[in-house]
Amino acid sequence: MRAFRSLLLAACFAASGSSLVIDRAAAQGIPRDIPRNELLILENPEGTIKNAGWFNIWAINAGSQSNGLQQAALDTLWYIDPEKGIDGVWDNSLATDKPVYNADFTEMTVKLRKGIFWSDGVEFTSADVKATVDIQIKNPGMRFSAVLTNNVAEVITPDAETVIFKLKKPNSRFHTNFTVRWGAIWILPKHVFEKVADPLKFDFNPPVSLSAYTLKSFDPDGKWYIWQAREDWQRTSLGRYGKPGPKYLAYVDPGPPDKRVIAQLNHELDVIHDIAPEGMFTLAKQSPSTRAWFKGFPFGHPDPTLPALVFNTQNDNFKNRDVRWALALMIDVKGVAMASYRGAATISAIGVPPTGGHPETYHAPMEAWLKDFELDTGKRKIKPYDPTVGKQIADMLRPSMGEVIPTDPAEIAKAFGRGWWKTDQQAAQELLERAGYTKRSNQWYRPDGQPFTIRVMVEGDLRPVMTRAGSMIVQQWRQAGIDAKVDVAQGTLLTRRGAGDFDTFIGWSVETWGGHQDLSYFMDSWHSQFVAEPGKPQPLRNWQRWSHPDLDKIIEQIRTIGFDDPKGIELGKEYVKLVTREMPIIPLMAYNVFTAMDHTYWTGFPTAENPYANPVTNWGNSRYMLVKLKPAK
Amino acid sequence: MSGYLAYVGKRLGQFVLVVFVGINLAYVITHATPIDPVEQSISAVTSFGNTAPEAIAEMRKSLRELYGLEGSGWEQYSRFWSRILVGDFGPSLSAFPTPVGTLIARAMPWTIGLLVTATVITWALGNLLGGLAGYYQKNRVLKAMGVVAMTLHPIPYYIVALLLLIIFGFVWPILPISGGSQMNLAQGWTLDYVASVLTHSILPALSLIMIGLGSWFLGMRSLVSNVVTEDYVVYAELAGVDRSRILGSYVMRNALLPQVTGLAMSLGGIFNGAIITEKVFGYPGLGTLLVDAVYAGDYGLVLGVTTVSILGVSVGVLVIDLVYPLLDPRVQVS
Repeated sequence: MRAFRSLLLAACFAASGSSLVIDRAAAQGIPRDIPRNELLILENPEGTIKNAGWFNIWAINAGSQSNGLQQAALDTLWYIDPEKGIDGVWDNSLATDKPVYNADFTEMTVKLRKGIFWSDGVEFTSADVKATVDIQIKNPGMRFSAVLTNNVAEVITPDAETVIFKLKKPNSRFHTNFTVRWGAIWILPKHVFEKVADPLKFDFNPPVSLSAYTLKSFDPDGKWYIWQAREDWQRTSLGRYGKPGPKYLAYVDPGPPDKRVIAQLNHELDVIHDIAPEGMFTLAKQSPSTRAWFKGFPFGHPDPTLPALVFNTQNDNFKNRDVRWALALMIDVKGVAMASYRGAATISAIGVPPTGGHPETYHAPMEAWLKDFELDTGKRKIKPYDPTVGKQIADMLRPSMGEVIPTDPAEIAKAFGRGWWKTDQQAAQELLERAGYTKRSNQWYRPDGQPFTIRVMVEGDLRPVMTRAGSMIVQQWRQAGIDAKVDVAQGTLLTRRGAGDFDTFIGWSVETWGGHQDLSYFMDSWHSQFVAEPGKPQPLRNWQRWSHPDLDKIIEQIRTIGFDDPKGIELGKEYVKLVTREMPIIPLMAYNVFTAMDHTYWTGFPTAENPYANPVTNWGNSRYMLVKLKPAK
Repeated sequence: MSGYLAYVGKRLGQFVLVVFVGINLAYVITHATPIDPVEQSISAVTSFGNTAPEAIAEMRKSLRELYGLEGSGWEQYSRFWSRILVGDFGPSLSAFPTPVGTLIARAMPWTIGLLVTATVITWALGNLLGGLAGYYQKNRVLKAMGVVAMTLHPIPYYIVALLLLIIFGFVWPILPISGGSQMNLAQGWTLDYVASVLTHSILPALSLIMIGLGSWFLGMRSLVSNVVTEDYVVYAELAGVDRSRILGSYVMRNALLPQVTGLAMSLGGIFNGAIITEKVFGYPGLGTLLVDAVYAGDYGLVLGVTTVSILGVSVGVLVIDLVYPLLDPRVQVS
């Protein structure tokens, strides 16, 4: 037994000794052979990539896009930033200017930059743009083949710097296919792809780059990708803005939220793509070098999306706008903001996200209309808009959060939003009664005598913030006498949402450019011509399956005007008024992304005070921060 | 001997039946899932939003052809078995066109390396300490180990894993908390790479050992406690046989047989991948692959991993069943 005790003791010593000799820096997964002050480490939110060695982004279901491929290596004709942009929201990237359309929008001419080179030394020309279109049309399984086949009759290249797209039908928004918001049709290298027998089976490994970085190495198991700045970075479109700050970029899968927090506290993850509000609050408290979009509360960067309570308007319960409005008036958005984001939400009463330029274009100018907006309950007319809700949220948070909560009304509006709908149970009751619903012993019944039951579909663990919002709305509706239930979809969400297998869901059907006022990004697919029959898959973002003759008219007018035409804003406002009256979705807030940026090794990240780019790591636009970052030490 | 051969034949027949039924069940369950891989792919593509709805309809048609989802249910089922019989699971739908077999082959060494090592260490240590604790029942150190084992055993795995992450990843950051190896280190049989793989496996292995140790320890202690009351052990002690010989030759050997069965089952089960371990520690094994495949509606990949798992467990049980009669004279094949 003595021998056994000795053995045990020796084992303990050996174990602790071997732990002590492990090099601390090496143990934490930072490359040992790259100086930390030359390396920017960013989160790839796609996680661990299954087919890590696949870089052919033009093949459908290609490998990772957010591993640095679209942010650091690819390029296309234009970018629109959801924020202010480095030189305005619109950036002519491979193009020298904005697209030029003919009078009926059946032809688009593009002038290209000279002196741009692929990383293998071949010059970029109009032939690459033409090949991008032709190869995808020729191979129906490719990612953008259907879009291009439906739109393009022919691509003509009169010279190396000119491309003329002959379109099959008028399309005033054709250029948006080549305009990066999050992604776009990236330009492929003709000289590489023309030698490939089957582009669908070509992995494009190593990728030939058109932007300022090339692939240095990657993990065959998909955990990390390292990119290196090109020696000839001046020969890229990004080179106009200067030399890239970090010589190396590492896009990594840092794991679940708790590990992201640990990694940033250890200064081993410079940019976290997104974490839960609690993780952000922990970083704000414990890491003096961490900074988010807003310096203080609510921290997160508002995505150009609009989380909302989306009704399935093909469901009998929600065909009547009185019912939809009644359900809106039963919600206390302050409770939803607290449940979802612990108050760190930017609310919106209208069907446009309070993001980028939209507050100036839509929210502020429409404030007067909203204050005057009247709703007829059948028994009386009410003015449901409360312009002070944003301020109320700020006031509610101030006792616990102190001076990080702004007091300036303009700052409050920017951070927490403006007004929202008053909680008005009496008006909700009048509306439901007008729709034929009855209330018996605090329980609502449908016109057919059945209990009024609503399932609120949420994603579950995959999107905890929205799941919490859904749970709070369910609670509020239950208190109002509706038999509401949370319906957790988890991995089935995409299929069920597309198929219309839901009553309501918490998510978004409205996405915008953010930095540009044009609303066609989501609105065109709301035209009644695209609304699927019940049970059939619904394309794109019209998850609510809602259509309206007045909306069709607005969409049809937008199709006939240019992207920058000021009339687009007026039509956008008409859309806002229509969806306010009809309430096909109950707008809630912006989708705040808690992108945390550690300033230990790098400074110059985009922030609310200096909003030159979207900071969220998977966006193509995040490439602009690469030229603005400087080493901190 | 002819009795044993008949037993082997019968057992092999059962093995084939179990595998056939298991794979068919997996096929039915994966195809009954409400997740449609085509719609999943379309949703991923349309995160780039201004794709025209007509184009989506065409994309849907192309994808069904590409993924081999056209044809009747029977045609798809026949194609599935004709491929399975030659070891071809087809292309992964979520990592198209990479073959499922390639993805499994890439993930499997990580899972086998981590889980076989952790399982064998846990089993050996648990049984050794449990055996000693059962035999030397008054020993204070072993009693204390029993208390530790009973305390650790019911703690949910993720709590232990998270504690290890916080302790060794943040409070005393000496061990890597994510991945299978160092960043920017080429895979290969180099000293650097092997050392890196070992270092990265310490925390996940430790978490598995800490949680797994308890059940083997308690099981073995209980078995040995029973064996020591058997007449032959009492007689051996009365006859003055050396205690270490009694422990090694009579007690442990007899108590170990059910534990060997448990080990075979555990080793067979590693082909599932330790799902929570791999997720928590970002380990690039089969568990992570399986979870991602489920979320993506990637039937081919789910079926591939499940089939490997069914084969693993069935082979483990088969081997034990075939070896048992040879090891334990009390087992009669007739």
